[in-house]
Amino acid sequence: MALKKTDSSKLLMAVCSSVPISDLLDRASQGSDKLHALSTIISQDLNSHFPPIGQVIMPRPSMCHTSSLQTPSDKQQTLQVSESDLLSLARSLLQAWSDPLLMGPAAQTISLLPFSGGNDIGQDRISQLINFNFLLSCFRRDSHKIDSFLKVLRCRATKAQPQMC
Amino acid sequence: MGCGAMMKSVMEVLLLLMLFFTAHAKEKSYSPPEKPTQTRCRSPEKETFTCWWEPGSDGGLPTTYALYYRKENSETVYECPDYHTAGENSCFFNKNDTSIWVNYNISVVATNALGRAFSDPVDIDVVYIVEPNPPEKLTVAVMEDKGWPFLLVSWEPPHKADTRSGWITLIYELRVRLEEEEDDWEMHHAGQQKMFNIFSLRSGGEYLVEVRCKPDHGFWSEWSSTSYVKVPDYFHREKSMWILVAVFSAFIFLILTWLLHMNSHSLKHCILPPVPGPKIKGFDNKLLKNGNSDEIFSALVVPNFPPASSSKYEEMLVEYLEVYVPEEPELMLEESKDLLDGCHKSENSRSDSDSGRGSCDSHTLLMDKCGETKEEERQTNRESSLMETQGWKEEAINHDTSGKVKTWPSVYSPLPQYGSNPLDKQSSLETAKQHSLSTSPFLTQPGTKDALGPSYTDFCLSNKENHLHPQTLAHRELQTRSDVNISNIGCKRSSATEYVEVQRVNKEDMVLLQPVVSRCGHIEGFPNLPKGEDYSKVKGVDCDNRLLLQREGTGEDVCPCVDQETNGEGGNCYTSSTVSTTQKPTACMYTAMPLQEETALTLNGYVDTATMGNLPSC
Repeated sequence: MALKKTDSSKLLMAVCSSVPISDLLDRASQGSDKLHALSTIISQDLNSHFPPIGQVIMPRPSMCHTSSLQTPSDKQQTLQVSESDLLSLARSLLQAWSDPLLMGPAAQTISLLPFSGGNDIGQDRISQLINFNFLLSCFRRDSHKIDSFLKVLRCRATKAQPQMC
Repeated sequence: MGCGAMMKSVMEVLLLLMLFFTAHAKEKSYSPPEKPTQTRCRSPEKETFTCWWEPGSDGGLPTTYALYYRKENSETVYECPDYHTAGENSCFFNKNDTSIWVNYNISVVATNALGRAFSDPVDIDVVYIVEPNPPEKLTVAVMEDKGWPFLLVSWEPPHKADTRSGWITLIYELRVRLEEEEDDWEMHHAGQQKMFNIFSLRSGGEYLVEVRCKPDHGFWSEWSSTSYVKVPDYFHREKSMWILVAVFSAFIFLILTWLLHMNSHSLKHCILPPVPGPKIKGFDNKLLKNGNSDEIFSALVVPNFPPASSSKYEEMLVEYLEVYVPEEPELMLEESKDLLDGCHKSENSRSDSDSGRGSCDSHTLLMDKCGETKEEERQTNRESSLMETQGWKEEAINHDTSGKVKTWPSVYSPLPQYGSNPLDKQSSLETAKQHSLSTSPFLTQPGTKDALGPSYTDFCLSNKENHLHPQTLAHRELQTRSDVNISNIGCKRSSATEYVEVQRVNKEDMVLLQPVVSRCGHIEGFPNLPKGEDYSKVKGVDCDNRLLLQREGTGEDVCPCVDQETNGEGGNCYTSSTVSTTQKPTACMYTAMPLQEETALTLNGYVDTATMGNLPSC
C-alpha cells in the first residue's frame, strides 16, 4: 500500500494488491536466465572468430571490474548467505553492468572510440577486439552469478510450491 | 690336460653365443611419451567436477600421467588430488577443491624414462560444464480419461543434483515410441515439471518411455533407463460403431447406384451434351459432293448487295443542314440541298472549311445554347455592349422561332488585334460555330482591313424558301432597338433582314454590335469600309432572289441583303435602292468574298462560284 497526497490535501491511498514475492522472483529469474543465455551465445560466437593464439593473450578474468565485489565461490558459501545479502549482491552486479565503462581500471584498457584510422590499424583493431572479448567474458560470468542468486532466492520463497524448485 | 683346455674353449664359445643371442633379442626403441590430449571436464551437480584425458603413445616405456592445475588468481600449481575415483586417465575434484566462478587452468603431463610431454592447457569454469546425471525412478502408468486411455509418466531428478535449494534448475524431456517401431521416437518437452501425460495411444500397443534432463545453462544428460508399458485393448468399443457406419454407407451407396442407373440417360445428356454439327444456311452438303460449284455458291450470294444504284449516293451527301425553329427552344434540322459552301468566305484563312456540318447538326446543342443564353441576354446591362456573339446569335435564332434557320459553318475568325483585349478566340469561336444562326441578323465585322487582319468574323444566314413563318416578316424589333441593347431583345421573331454589325470588341471580349443605321456605306465608328477586293457590292437582285455583285468597289453603296425567304413576295428583299430609303436599320453584310467574276449570290448571300454563268434571264 502506498500513500499519496493530492493538492487538496486529501489522502489518497493507492492500494496495490500484494504480489507474492515468489512470483516476482520467478519473473526476475526468467529475465536473468535470458540474459545469461544471450551473453553465452554472443561470447561463443565471438570466440569462434578468434585464433587460438588470441585466447592465450586474453587478460585475466580477475581483472574484471566487478572482481572487487565479494561473491561466494562455492555452493556452501552461497547457501549460507542471507537472502537480503544475496539480493543486494545481485543488485550490485546489475548496477555495475549498467554502464561498465565508468567502473574500474579495466575501463581504461577499453577504447570504444570509433576507429579513426592511422598507421597502426591492425594493432588497434586486435587490441580492441581482445578487450571487447574480455569484457564479454566478464559479463558472462556476472550474469551467471546474478541468475544463480535469483534462482536460489526464488526457491527459498516458494515453500508452498515445490514444483518451482 | 687336453680335456681341460677343450672344456674352457667350449664354454667361451657358448658364452659368446649366449651374449650374441641376447643382444639380438632386444631390438625395441624407446622414446619419450607422446603429448596427451585433454578430452573433457564435466560437473554433474556444480559442486564437483572431473577431467578426462587421452594418452598418446607411451614410447615403449612405462609412462606416468599427472594433471596440474592453477586457479585464476594465484600462480600456485596444484596437482590433481584424485586420480582414481573417476576411473582411468581422469582427475576428480571433490567439493573442497572445487571453486565456482573461478577459472581453472589445467594441463596433463606424460612422463617416462626418456622424457615428458605436456598437453595443451585448458581453461574451464565449473559453472559452464554442468552435465547432470539422468533422471531417476521413471514410472509409467496407464490411466483412463472418459473411456480413453493415456500414459502418466513421472520421474525424479538425479539424486546428486540439488534442486531443492535452487542450486540447480533442471528442465526435462521425454520420448516415447512403440516397441515395433524403432527409432521413431515421439519427443515431449516437460519443462521443470516431473510428470507428463501422453495421449493418443494405440489400443493394445506396447510403449517405451525415456526421460532426460538439462540444467538451465549446461548440457543434456544421458537418457534414463527405459520403461515399458502395455496399453490394454479398447478396440471393441470402436468396433460396433464402425460396423454401423459401414452398413449405413453401403446402404446409401446402393441407393445412389440405383438412382444413377434409372437416370443414366438424362444424366448423360446433362453432363455430355451433344455437340452440334457445323451448318451453313443455304449450303447443301450433297451438292458439294456432287461437285457443281455454281449451284452451291449461288446459295451463298446475298441478293441486292452491294447496292447497285447510285441514286442514293447523292442523297447521302449532306451539304448543309437546315434548322427549323418552330418554338423555342425547339429546333428541327433539315437537310437541304442548297449549297452550303457558297456561304464560305474563301479568303478567310481561319474558316472552318469542312462546312461545319457536324456542329450545325447538333440539334441538342442548339437547343441548349438557345435556352441558356436567353436568360443571359436579358440580364446584360444596358451599355452598348452586347453579349457575346454566341449568345446574340442564339437570340437571333429564337427570334425566328417559326422559321427555318439554315446553318452553315460560321466563318469565324479570331480578332487578335481588336481593341486591347483580344477575343477569347477559341472558346467563343468554337461555340459560335456550333450555333445556328437565325435567318435575319447578320453579324459583320467592321473595321478596317488592317484591323481585321487576315480574317473576319462573319455570319451567314440565309433562309430557305417557304420556310419562314409569315409572322417573321414583320419583325422589326431588333431594328427598333437600334444601336442599343440588342441584348434586350429576347428570342423574338425578327425579320429576316435585320443587320447588325460589330462595332467593336470591348474589354470583356464582348462584341459590341450596332445595327446598321444608315446606308451600309457609312457605319459609325468605322473610318473606312473595306472595299475593293475584300468586299463586293451588290449591283442588283435578279428575279431568282440572287444578288448581283459589282465588279468594282465603287458604285452604289448597297448593302447586300440576304434575301429572306418569304413566300415569294420578296417583301424583305432590299435592293440597293430600297435600302437607302428605309428607315429601318439594317445590318449590312459585308461579304468578304473576293470580287469574282460576275457571280451571283445564292440565296444565302454568298457568291456561288458554281453557279457562275447562271445569270437569270428573267
